[in-house]
Amino acid sequence: MVNYIDLTIQILVAMGVTALGFAIGMLFNGIARKITARIHNRVGPPIYQGYIDVLKLFTKKTNISHGWIFDFAALFSVAGIALTFLFLPVAGVTLLSGEGDIFLILYLLAIPALGFALGAGASGNPNAAVGIMRALMTMLAYELPLVMVIIAMMVYYDTTSLAVIVQKQANMQWAIFIPVFFIGALVADMALQGMLMEKPFDIPIAPHEIASGPMVEFGGKHLGALMLYKMMGIVVETTLFVDLFLGGGVVLSVSQFGWLAYLVNFIVWFLLILFVFFIALLINAVFPRFRIEQALKFYWKYDAIVGILILIWIFVGVTI
Amino acid sequence: MITLTIAIFLLGIIIVGLLNRYPKAAGVIAFFVSLIPFFALLSWSSVMNISLPSYLHFLNFETSWQYNLGPGTLILQITPLGWFFLLLLSSLFPMVILFSISFFRSNAGGFYAAMLLTMLGSFGILLAQDMLTFYIFWEIMSWSILALVIRGGDRKAIVSYLSFGALSAMLILFGFMLLYFKTGTYVFAEMHLDASNLVLAAISLIVSGFAVKGALMPMHVWAPHVYSKSEEPFVAFLSGGLSKLGYFGIMLFMYGVVGFSLLSSWGTFRGVPLFGYTLAVVGAFTAFAGTVLAVMQDDLRKLLAYSSIGQLGYITIGLGIGTPLAITGALFQALNHTFFKAVLFLAAGAVYYRTGKYKISELGGLGYKMPFTFLATLFSIFALAAIPITSGFAAKWLLYEAAIEKKFLFVTPIMLIAGVGAFLYAYKILYGVFLGEPRYDVKEAPLSQLVPMWILVLPLIIFLIFPGWFVDLTAPILQGYGMTAIPHTPFMINTSLAKYNTLAVIFGFIGTLLFAFILYKSKPQERVEHLDNYLAGEPPELYNYNIAMHASSKYYEPFDEVFYPYFKKGAERMWEIILAAGEVFGSGARKIYTGIVGDYSIYILLFFLIMVGWWLLW
Repeated sequence: MVNYIDLTIQILVAMGVTALGFAIGMLFNGIARKITARIHNRVGPPIYQGYIDVLKLFTKKTNISHGWIFDFAALFSVAGIALTFLFLPVAGVTLLSGEGDIFLILYLLAIPALGFALGAGASGNPNAAVGIMRALMTMLAYELPLVMVIIAMMVYYDTTSLAVIVQKQANMQWAIFIPVFFIGALVADMALQGMLMEKPFDIPIAPHEIASGPMVEFGGKHLGALMLYKMMGIVVETTLFVDLFLGGGVVLSVSQFGWLAYLVNFIVWFLLILFVFFIALLINAVFPRFRIEQALKFYWKYDAIVGILILIWIFVGVTI
Repeated sequence: MITLTIAIFLLGIIIVGLLNRYPKAAGVIAFFVSLIPFFALLSWSSVMNISLPSYLHFLNFETSWQYNLGPGTLILQITPLGWFFLLLLSSLFPMVILFSISFFRSNAGGFYAAMLLTMLGSFGILLAQDMLTFYIFWEIMSWSILALVIRGGDRKAIVSYLSFGALSAMLILFGFMLLYFKTGTYVFAEMHLDASNLVLAAISLIVSGFAVKGALMPMHVWAPHVYSKSEEPFVAFLSGGLSKLGYFGIMLFMYGVVGFSLLSSWGTFRGVPLFGYTLAVVGAFTAFAGTVLAVMQDDLRKLLAYSSIGQLGYITIGLGIGTPLAITGALFQALNHTFFKAVLFLAAGAVYYRTGKYKISELGGLGYKMPFTFLATLFSIFALAAIPITSGFAAKWLLYEAAIEKKFLFVTPIMLIAGVGAFLYAYKILYGVFLGEPRYDVKEAPLSQLVPMWILVLPLIIFLIFPGWFVDLTAPILQGYGMTAIPHTPFMINTSLAKYNTLAVIFGFIGTLLFAFILYKSKPQERVEHLDNYLAGEPPELYNYNIAMHASSKYYEPFDEVFYPYFKKGAERMWEIILAAGEVFGSGARKIYTGIVGDYSIYILLFFLIMVGWWLLW
């Protein structure tokens, strides 16, 4: 029989952590704007600007829609990104199913992106269509080096489950301390830059060329939902990186320290994703934007060659 | 009983053929005749250890029977593998016929007759227990496909289908001859093969022959021509159903006749037979190249054709790896591909029926006009792109797991990147045809076209929720090869590397969607036309609204620019070179026939001398 009390608690915890994830995402948005402003020698908005923006957009009186396909964007993007977050091991805890399979996570990440693309396409604005085209091509570009590194890790750890990879990195045996995966982390960090759509890979948004691209027709609560998606996306993508290379933020074992371990792990996880995001921000603040074919060339020529070397390394290492 | 049914089937073909001037009546009769294989399938469900309620199999067919025809015996028997592929074909086939009833306005009798004949051929192939029967029905199927290709009326399509069909038949026939030479029997069950090079040559020939039908690169050249120049319902059946027969043949001969242990005796690499390894690499290449070529197409049907080639490449990978996990994944991919690709082709047909256009750059904005067609397409595209809210994901996941399990370090990234490429062309279909600027004022597709599409979407939902049921279907097939089914419960699949729980995904998605819905419903909204925002409320006449707002022409231009140089000299060029070499040889050989009697007598003399000399020296 299903234990209903446990199930209820589990659902409540999942809801709470998801809400916390969104909150962290909004905070990251504020931090990002502040840091970028300081690098540009500006004052910048306050650190809680993300909360203000989302609140403002969701309380707007006029909300423009172009029909029900257009509304898919608002629904699918928020739902999909929250679902992905539930399948990720956060500080060693996976909220749904107990096994965050990496392939599942990679494909779940496509749900919000596809929903977003549907809404943007339905708006009928050519800028939006061009933006989606660029977003999909950037995705094609950065996925190749990323999956090369991830597959090398899967074969090395002999699992495809992200939760097990996090477990095997317990006691500070982080993947990044293994030389081959240190290089892998660099490759994956470049891919993360594209995933986060930060410069030099902010080609899909490109405000000066295509007027914010896919976002161009959205306003009010629709834009609010998309902002939530983007902010939560930062948390999800950095968490994926931290889970893969930095032990997922697990420093204390739960069996030994009880609830204290949860708390400490959670704080360490937060600091780690902040650190990873901070690196992305520093790159973002000083670089100009690539053209789309330059991005493709960068990822498939330089990043992927390193990825192939890592694969060869693992390939030979497994055989011997 | 079965003979009587086949007689009814043949009678149906003749009647339908004669009713050429009454397309509706012919269609209705063809639809009822086309249900026969499905009822046969139900009555044979005991082969798969499925016990259906009695009202579902009121017809009791024999499970095996023979026809004695002078020189040989046709042996037919239902096997688990045959049952599985018959499930795909016989559930797709009536839907395609139903779709055709409203699709054809005239001259349809020949179409239905040829379609039914194709189904008869496939039926025989799936039941054949000896090479002779197999080959006879293979030819029946191939020739009736040719009749349907000729109806399309494109010369290049006909010639390429004919030449590649002949190549396929020749390769298969050579393989069969070698096997017969080796074993002295046609019957699969009586063959006792050994690890000789002759058997290896035979199985290589047979597999490459079937690869033509399965559109495996570089044997795929016929597929884009035929798919893009034939009538839509037939293409849906060809791509969804008939292309699987190639994979049925590969499975039957690789794992049924030859067997995994014999394949391993020709060398293995990390526990995978080298033969299968080669096949997996070719499949991965096909998956990638097919995807890239699909992204470049502007014709909707050509795009779907290349996408078919790419998706079928995944099946090849699974069959090449050959572990229980991989075979399950390959069969699952075959099932998914049958249904989603059929829906996509039928939807393309419905769009053509209403607008008369196939070019993506000329279509647009049909999503609000044809909402049910759009939703069926959307769902199939989710399955094609392996989004986890359809059964498409489970198949791809099983294949990835199988590849990682066997440490296919270089094949897996290619598979994954082909999966990402699928997003690109999937969005091209969605945006180019259904989203964006509304260009056509058309009605929704007729009900008799919508119903088949939505029925074909159903399996994708059922096997999303119950992937374990699918694994149950594969259990008897794997048992025949001495393997056991992968561990599973109805909602969960376990592998040695991870597990996939559909309930978590479904309930998680429903829950988060509910959350998003509440957030979205929190404020009212108003619907405005798409031009209102774009022109900031100004009347369109002021701006001379003739500017194309639909950006679907050359949609992936940067992509084309990057990849075109590598794909410029495609497989067709390769075949042209082979053809040119053949022509040089052929024209050289033709010079022998001079037409002078004296020359011929010299040839005879030479031949005689050689024979005598050979006899003397021996």
